[in-house]
Amino acid sequence: MSEKQTTTSAAFLATLKRDLLIAFKKKNDIVNPFMFFIIVVSLFPIGISPESDRLTEIAAGVIWISVLLASMLSMDNLYRADFEDGSLEQLLLSPHPLFFLVLAKNISHWLVSGLPVVLVSPLLAYMLALPDEAYLTLVLSLLLGTPIMSLVGSIAVALTVGLGSRGLILAVITLPMSVPVLIFGTLAVQSTLNSQSPLGYLSLMLVMLSVSVSLAPLASAAALKISVN
Amino acid sequence: MLDAIQFSSFADFIDMGGYGFNVWSVYGLFAIFVAVNLILPLRKKQRILRQLKRRMTLDEEINSEDSQSS
Amino acid sequence: MWLWFSKLGSPKWFYELSGKWLPWLVAAMVVFMTVGLVWGLLFLPPDYQQGFTSRILIVHVAVAGTSLAFFPLLLVSGTITLVWRMKLADMVAKNAAILGAWFSFITLATGSLWGSVMWGTWWEWTDSRLVSMLFQLFLLLGVISLRSALEDSETAAKACALLSIVGCINVVIIKYSVEWWNTLHQVSSPVSMDTQSPNGPEFWIATLVMIVAVYLFLSVSLILSTRNEILERERRSQWVQDLVSKS
Repeated sequence: MSEKQTTTSAAFLATLKRDLLIAFKKKNDIVNPFMFFIIVVSLFPIGISPESDRLTEIAAGVIWISVLLASMLSMDNLYRADFEDGSLEQLLLSPHPLFFLVLAKNISHWLVSGLPVVLVSPLLAYMLALPDEAYLTLVLSLLLGTPIMSLVGSIAVALTVGLGSRGLILAVITLPMSVPVLIFGTLAVQSTLNSQSPLGYLSLMLVMLSVSVSLAPLASAAALKISVN
Repeated sequence: MLDAIQFSSFADFIDMGGYGFNVWSVYGLFAIFVAVNLILPLRKKQRILRQLKRRMTLDEEINSEDSQSS
Repeated sequence: MWLWFSKLGSPKWFYELSGKWLPWLVAAMVVFMTVGLVWGLLFLPPDYQQGFTSRILIVHVAVAGTSLAFFPLLLVSGTITLVWRMKLADMVAKNAAILGAWFSFITLATGSLWGSVMWGTWWEWTDSRLVSMLFQLFLLLGVISLRSALEDSETAAKACALLSIVGCINVVIIKYSVEWWNTLHQVSSPVSMDTQSPNGPEFWIATLVMIVAVYLFLSVSLILSTRNEILERERRSQWVQDLVSKS
């Protein structure tokens, strides 16, 4: 009965806390995407060229695409375990608007898988010979772009949560949707390299982020309701 | 009206002013595209009707056998 | 109004009505197709800049223009599926996704056949139309594979409807962002050739004929496959049984 008295914000915080706790208990979920990101990035110089001039040119793109792949792979855990142990159904039955609960899950996913990648990106940027002046732009653009990818990807994960094997279908659905983020993220870095102000692109990404914060959880919630009946 | 035809010989027509390969590939692709998307649904319809018919006759046979045995 | 709406959504009603329309649509399609193709192949004078490649354009522009119709089609049928749970909308959407993927592919193929002559390259990343059409194809293939992965047909209907809506919005965003991306990558861009092309009025009339022909083809093909879908899904209903026994 006390459940009914909890406010939506309390439910939001409880979901956030619970998801973070689970993530920290299962360290694989945090470590694997992170390792994947670092390994993919370090394969590029070996595959393309170790010359620093070449690397400078592709650095931003390589980091962005690796972030994209890492966030997509880690996305698989977003609703999976909850779906299997039935707690997702509990979530759907809760009296609080699903919008906020989904948002809480997305935020915790970003904190666990997106933020570490953003924090380590300057190190990888250094290894890819990205000039110093672009570091700040890279970090800022990733800081704005990774949550967008978590939010948008969450829709696709919610749609496929009931499927047995869905590693590839998730990629087929999510990757095309990340094109705009990829374009503006790399453009921001490129414009800094051309000694222009990246503020225009960054503010555009901010707009995209606020639009996806307000709309994507709605779509995810609808998708969860479709998948779990 | 025949004067308006842009080609004096059949070879000219095939050649398309030097762009024969591209022009004819586009028209060929288009023809395949249209044909496939009309023929496949039509054949599928025949298949569905055949299957439904077979099922219906099977059902009738089973029903008549049932009524005979009872 | 509500009665009319639910009648419209009844598969039986659609099957009967489309059966009446189909001969007319097919006849019109044959007429326009023949006029367009014969005109295009035999009578259209060569463009003074593009030569006979303008003959590629009338097909390409017609297919590309018609493939824009899939956005409203998928958006509307997706919304109807999600809001009113009308079965017919999903039957249309299922086949529209497949046909839309075909249209995107043919648009890309004919476009690069034209580009290989006019631009000297089969593929041009700086052209926003090519790139966004490519991603439209990817998104439609995603919808198709999601549908085939989900077993329960009702879940599949709603899931694909949601994905189509999100995907359509996304393709529009992609289109604009790629356009923007291009304006900054004008390295050796050969783009904006056919938007300001000096084609004569005859070219545009031939293109218009082809556009009408392709639209008619789109509706004929979509109606045919939707009718199949109706027969398959409603096979247990009385009217389908009657229809089969009569045939």
